[in-house]
Amino acid sequence: MTEVKAELVGSVWKVKTQPGAQVAEEDELLVLESMKMEIPVTSPRAGTVKEVRVKEGEVVKEGQVLVVLE
Amino acid sequence: MGDDYNKLVGELLSRRKRNLAMGGEEKVARQHQRGKLTVRERIDLLFDPGTFVELGLLANQQPATSPLAGEVGPASSPARPEGTEPTPADGVVTGHGDIDGRQVWVIAYDFTVMAGSMGAVGEQFKAARVRDLALRYRKPIVWLLDSAGARIQEAAGSKFAGTGWLFADQVVMSGVIPQVAAMLGPCAAGTAYIPGLADFVPMVKGTSSMSLGGARLVKAATGEDVTDHDMGGSQVHCYESGVGDNEVEDDKECLATVRRFLSYLPSSNTEAPPLVETDDPPERLVAGLDKIVPVSPRSVYDVRKVIKAIFDHESWFEVKPSWAKNIVIGFARAAGHSVGVVANQPLQKGGVLDSDAADKAARFIRMCDAFNIALVYLMDVPGFMVGSQVEKEGIIRHGAKMLYATSEATVPKVTVIMRKAYGAGYYVMCGKGYEPDTIVAWPFAEISVMGPEGAVNIIFNKQVEASDNPEATRAQLIETIRAQINPYLAAGWAMIDDVIDPAETRRVIVKGIEQARDKKIDRPWRKHGNIPV
Repeated sequence: MTEVKAELVGSVWKVKTQPGAQVAEEDELLVLESMKMEIPVTSPRAGTVKEVRVKEGEVVKEGQVLVVLE
Repeated sequence: MGDDYNKLVGELLSRRKRNLAMGGEEKVARQHQRGKLTVRERIDLLFDPGTFVELGLLANQQPATSPLAGEVGPASSPARPEGTEPTPADGVVTGHGDIDGRQVWVIAYDFTVMAGSMGAVGEQFKAARVRDLALRYRKPIVWLLDSAGARIQEAAGSKFAGTGWLFADQVVMSGVIPQVAAMLGPCAAGTAYIPGLADFVPMVKGTSSMSLGGARLVKAATGEDVTDHDMGGSQVHCYESGVGDNEVEDDKECLATVRRFLSYLPSSNTEAPPLVETDDPPERLVAGLDKIVPVSPRSVYDVRKVIKAIFDHESWFEVKPSWAKNIVIGFARAAGHSVGVVANQPLQKGGVLDSDAADKAARFIRMCDAFNIALVYLMDVPGFMVGSQVEKEGIIRHGAKMLYATSEATVPKVTVIMRKAYGAGYYVMCGKGYEPDTIVAWPFAEISVMGPEGAVNIIFNKQVEASDNPEATRAQLIETIRAQINPYLAAGWAMIDDVIDPAETRRVIVKGIEQARDKKIDRPWRKHGNIPV
């Protein structure tokens, strides 16, 4: 199981995956908005998305778990 | 008579042979089993073939008192404990050789001899002599570290009082000659300050580690159970702590990386870096940038592709590639000139500057300035990170380091504003106030104290609140401010030198560096400044 965490504080701009989805390494899982930038959050490895723990528009903290892979 | 002569020369040869055999076949085999090369194999890879000259091959640890007189050596050489084996070269191979035809000095620990531990002879005489001579001749110094640390058998007790000047020597050498600490094995305890003070620290994945206290000491001091590797391997120092620079796969790659690093540097601060011939034309228009860089300032891209496209073919050498990735630093060449590149990386955290990014850039900028290497800033920065988290980290003092370093640097500085140049990010990336020799912008550059949205919230907060239709008013005000953000306004005031077609970037950088070749800036006398740390 791998937890994908927010690298910096910001808000969730777009969620681009869903539970059950197969992802490859470097696939875009969601996009954060912070400091005027659209910051893609990519998958650290290939796997299956187990959980998406945030919704679009939600404010997230640095280190907060966004997506769980299995 | 001839017999005596030959016998005595024969003894020399057998002593040499014994010490060249290092810790013996069994220890050498174990070194190889660990995936490591021996110290002598490493030296062969470090230097140009046949150039190594060794000093102190015949060294061995010595008894505390000589047969004739009292103590030997400055801090007294302790006894070889009864029954211990000789220590060939006293566990450290020292001397000089050439790298690309230029002299470089080496202190290389031999793990096959008492785990490369630092003994009195090896440290107080051999390593100290190399430091002395490297500085005397103004030549780079390279440590090949694979050592258990101080030889406790010799150093335990309050004789410790006489040790430690090696680090003071390193501080004296700092900014005078390049210092490289290649991590090829363990490097525990105080010895870890060697890489801590060095200019470049490559680490071999899996076999190298560094920590102020080794695993056994940590267990005794705090009760924590941890291995040397888990505590101080490259996965920690090249990814989390930033003490290591570049993680490499094995010893061979490590030594090649040391050679590559030194190829961009002069032998000392009194020289210019080597000028390398290139067949890449200085006037070459940079192709393909339109496919790399999105015009929308909110979109991300990999700035390393921009760097590779601009500078001489195959010349890009990234430093600290796996730590604080939101800023990219490294060496490249522009028409053969060595340059230090500082580039924001939109792909990571949107390219925002934070504490680690500022530390990373500041130290690199100071190294380039110390060694007469021109700086090229490729700017696309949404500013410094803001908020309660980063204030607790002390982002103000970290950011101030980068501001200080950029301001202090008197080497040629060229600034290219690619897209965003917001707030203090514009300052530390060598904005107009920081004496760039050339400062240009691409046509979609946005130079501003902050983005239009933030500006409206602060400047026109009351108007927006008082409006019958706050959202429409806000949108209108944002557009009003956005119209004030374009490079032609800055160029119209001649605050920047030019707006350029991105394809012209290579030519502009080369011209900018050559224009500033004879740059001389005199600052008021001072002992030294007080850089925030």
